[in-house]
Amino acid sequence: MLPLTGADAEDATLIKNGFMMAIDQQNAKGGVAGYKIEPVTYDSGTATAGQYDPAQAATNTKKLIADPAVVASLGPEMSGEGKAMSPILSEADMATITPTSTNPDITDPKMAAQFRPKGKAIYFRTVTTDAFQGPNMANFYAQVLKVKSVYVLDDSGAYGVGIADSFQKRAEALGIKIMGRDQLNPKEADYTTILTKIKSLKPDALYYGGVAQAGVKLAKQAYDIIPTMPNGGGDGVQGGSFLKGGGFPAVEAWYSTNAGPHMVEDPKLADFIKEYTSRYKTNPSDYSVTAYNAALVVMDAVKRVAEGGKEMTRSNVRDAIQATSLPTLQGTVAFDENGDIKDRTVSVFQYKKDPKFPDDDIIHQQKYIGAAPQS
Amino acid sequence: MSLGDVLLQQVINGLSLGAMYALLALGFTMVYGIIELINFAHFNIFMVGSFIALWVLQSLGFNGQSTVLTGFPLVGILLGVLLVTMLLTGLLGVAIERIALRPLRGVPGTAPMITTIGVSYILFNLVLLSAGADSKNYSNPMPNVRWEIGDATLRLRELLLWGISLLLMVGLHFFVRRTKLGKAMQATAQDQEAARMVGVDVDRIVVTTFFLGSALAGAAGFIFGLYYNYTSFIIGYNAGLRAFTAAVLGGIGNIPGAMLGGLLIGLIESLGGQLIAVRWTEVIVFAILILVLVFRPTGLLGRAAPTRS
Repeated sequence: MLPLTGADAEDATLIKNGFMMAIDQQNAKGGVAGYKIEPVTYDSGTATAGQYDPAQAATNTKKLIADPAVVASLGPEMSGEGKAMSPILSEADMATITPTSTNPDITDPKMAAQFRPKGKAIYFRTVTTDAFQGPNMANFYAQVLKVKSVYVLDDSGAYGVGIADSFQKRAEALGIKIMGRDQLNPKEADYTTILTKIKSLKPDALYYGGVAQAGVKLAKQAYDIIPTMPNGGGDGVQGGSFLKGGGFPAVEAWYSTNAGPHMVEDPKLADFIKEYTSRYKTNPSDYSVTAYNAALVVMDAVKRVAEGGKEMTRSNVRDAIQATSLPTLQGTVAFDENGDIKDRTVSVFQYKKDPKFPDDDIIHQQKYIGAAPQS
Repeated sequence: MSLGDVLLQQVINGLSLGAMYALLALGFTMVYGIIELINFAHFNIFMVGSFIALWVLQSLGFNGQSTVLTGFPLVGILLGVLLVTMLLTGLLGVAIERIALRPLRGVPGTAPMITTIGVSYILFNLVLLSAGADSKNYSNPMPNVRWEIGDATLRLRELLLWGISLLLMVGLHFFVRRTKLGKAMQATAQDQEAARMVGVDVDRIVVTTFFLGSALAGAAGFIFGLYYNYTSFIIGYNAGLRAFTAAVLGGIGNIPGAMLGGLLIGLIESLGGQLIAVRWTEVIVFAILILVLVFRPTGLLGRAAPTRS
């Protein structure tokens, strides 16, 4: 389940391709332990929201669990969707693996009553959470960019508010002065007011927690009003939707993070990338790889359930996913008891135009800076 | 930036927003003035206008932001695109009236209004399906000319926005006050039956009103694209809602009221965002609307024409 309609469509498609490639390859090899995996796609983006829509995600999840042939789910892309889906999945004992959604509340044991009322972890991730993504970026701001003051914005979504909060908390602890905090309405066209205000406050940098719909407009107008101020965000501004929507020169020099290791320039992935580009005529993102791996984890779990002679139920597949220890392109994937991945790497990037490649080439139009400082 | 410069900048920002809302509010108020219908299709006529202008620009060979014009060619292109867009959105408005609203004329209750909501959704989804869901970069031939006033910046695109809006509003005012057709519109707004009795062709007046209102929405859509450098199928909702609010604030049915309401809402948004916080903007705008309506139910300037008795 992915938001394939609206402002998130670009990245959602790269992720969907990752899922599909893993499934198609496995089916071509004869499926999993005699089972042919049949993917059913649900679109959780709606025209009225113009981006992902949590209400649609909930409706889709209900349809999904009503189908007895579905044993596990892949997705969602966005934490706002995840928050809506998680309690419904918990009731049905069905696991999902998200390759991108990073809001920590969903897997937080303190919030289990809300997000997994039946207790067991059902929301697994092949990326780490904003409990690391936001704070590690604050470390990067303080240690690498030497930022002393910052203005923080979010886009009023579950992910955006969460990552901006966690960034802000760590930034304060590191002695960065918070010059202000405000919230953007993602459907609004005009951010000149807030940008003028930021210009007048003269912070050293801007941090934006949120996804592309508000992000691309913010980038365009920031380029006009505060062209020299360093800007950054999380994985919401990392990838195709932001790059293509904002475009150069607006996105130039924006920092972004990924809640996982940087992989698509790794020579080990040459075969993966070749296969991906020949199938889908576009470059994969790092989250195409985490999506591919998420699909591998589900198929591996199905295989272990089948080989263990157990019945192919949702709850047995869930238990098998929980016990995963699978070598993949991002290293060994294993989950803690809440469903979070054990590897907590956060990577930092900066957009930098390379005229040799197409403007929307997500691999070459940004520079990998390195893993963000963990503390 | 000194406080004075910041406030000056916010006034510039607010006037730009306000001019756009005002153009859009005129369409609501004119249609309401004539047939007492709130036309929600107007939201998305504005959005369609921004796409029509983009398509015209693209078919003239403007792609991305690479081609920049100055001087006479720039004025010529902008004026040409503006007129084509206004003509096409005007015709769209007329078509909507003919196909969806005229058969319902005289039907009591909310049926015509609900129909306009339906039309609005049709336009919205047509653009979504034909243009796709991602936001489009605008092909903008405008050079990035700017003047610094202290620490505040005034850009050519602001002057253009204000200039076009002012021109259209003055033109509309002149049309309504001075021409025969305009006077017939005023007569129809005052009393449809009496106007019909003295020989005013009411159908023609209604068509004219839809044409003009929709053409202004198209102009606003084009200016939106030039000003923000993008367009998307969802821009109609927020701008439309604010413009509708502006029309009610100024006094729905009242043309100068729509202009005043638009400018006020633009300024409230920018100054409210500066002095309080952007996340409270909507609360402030609608709180002011409610307060005004409690104390002046007909809006700030009231209805220019007496309602039918």
